[in-house]
Amino acid sequence: MSIRPLPARFRSSRARIFLIVTLASLCFSGALSVRAQQHVNKRYPAGKNVRVELKNISGTITVESWNRDEIKLSATLESPTANLSPRQTGEGLVIDVMGDNRGRGDVGDANFKLQVPVNSTVDLETRRGDITVTNIRGGSVRAHVSSEGDITLSGISASQVFAQNTIGNIFFDGELSRGGSYQFQSGQGDITIRIPADSAFRLVAASPTRKIALGQFWNDRFRSLDGRKYEGDVGDSRASVTVTNFRGSITFLRR
Amino acid sequence: MNCEKCQELISDLFDGALSREDELTLSTHIEECLACADVRSDLESIVGFCRAHRGEYSAPPNEKAVWLRIRNIIEAEAQPLVTIPVPGQPTRKRSWVEWMGRSWELSLPQLAASVAAIVLVVSLATAVGLRRWQSVDSLTGSTTTTPPIDITARGTNVRDRIWQQQQVINYWNQRVESNKVRWNPQMRETFDRNLKVIDQAVNDSLNDLGQNPHDEVSEEMLNAALNEKLSLLKEFADL
Repeated sequence: MSIRPLPARFRSSRARIFLIVTLASLCFSGALSVRAQQHVNKRYPAGKNVRVELKNISGTITVESWNRDEIKLSATLESPTANLSPRQTGEGLVIDVMGDNRGRGDVGDANFKLQVPVNSTVDLETRRGDITVTNIRGGSVRAHVSSEGDITLSGISASQVFAQNTIGNIFFDGELSRGGSYQFQSGQGDITIRIPADSAFRLVAASPTRKIALGQFWNDRFRSLDGRKYEGDVGDSRASVTVTNFRGSITFLRR
Repeated sequence: MNCEKCQELISDLFDGALSREDELTLSTHIEECLACADVRSDLESIVGFCRAHRGEYSAPPNEKAVWLRIRNIIEAEAQPLVTIPVPGQPTRKRSWVEWMGRSWELSLPQLAASVAAIVLVVSLATAVGLRRWQSVDSLTGSTTTTPPIDITARGTNVRDRIWQQQQVINYWNQRVESNKVRWNPQMRETFDRNLKVIDQAVNDSLNDLGQNPHDEVSEEMLNAALNEKLSLLKEFADL
């Protein structure tokens, strides 16, 4: 193994100094960007049935249940000047990035991870970014992305579920409650609904692209409007499911 | 059942004037349609409010006289418009102007009653108007200011309705444009990309409706797309 000497131009002391300064400044700028972020970790006492409300501007939101009667908030704020003042209410926790930073200009992404009691009601919205909710068995789950971002709701058992985005996929995996209401709307993205085979619901599904696949939930009681809209009952139609997709597909899968 | 028909029947529902069959159809539609559920909820609160406050706003004594005075006040405010001398003005109009020129002296209680009546009328009109136009969607969390577009019923001109809706959209669009400079480039790109998707959906629906003006699916899609456009504009106007 031979070690090649540095080229002649690096042998001079001026070149060495330049190299060291460059490396040092690179390291320093990296450290600065890490330091510029804010990390927030807080815990809030909560009952078993709480309401968690989060209004974000941009960034990901992840909510999952855990086996404790408290809410754990972990957030990374891209901007050092961004403000975050979660408000504990009688019902639970309200986090309003929009309100907390009004008039501050661009505050960049704020990425959230929330761990909440399993029976929580969850109300999440963001202008842009993915929303993921896992294993929630509360009263309602609402996930609204004004523009683009995927919405993934898995292990959900709630009587009201609402998911809406403009660009992005929506995936729902859960159970439908008797008398429950489930609404999914996307502008451009695929909507996939994975529910138990014995689910009973009244369905209104519309997509002008005609990409509607009801799978084993299809039956001859369904009324089809030119393949762009399906209306009908599955079982005793004890829940109401409304799915609208402007330019993407709608797929029902058996759990 | 479409939204137009449903919203026509909602007031009958509160009056108990619906047949069992209509009531069932209406309930089924309302369960599925948030906009109509909101209208029902709004009307329910208005009716509830009126019932709860029955008697608090009893009609003033000599109601006809009060209305006459209100009309006089309103017309007196419009007087400068009609007193502009126009050559060849008909005699009837001149006598109307003279009649309008009379001084109307009101006693303090009369004046108070008139003012109270005006306040009451304006408040009720404003409340009803606001409720109708700003039905807040509790589940979607978005404020819907767009009434459903009726294409089939009563021969309403779709283009006119869209034009009206476009005025609201233009207002929010202007607000977005004025705030856009503050956004970062990524946010601007995201917004433009998403608006384009919605505009495509609107155009697709309009094209379909152009081919088949009675197409239920296209009508619903157009409503949904316009509502979503408005919602997107309003939410980004806040940034």
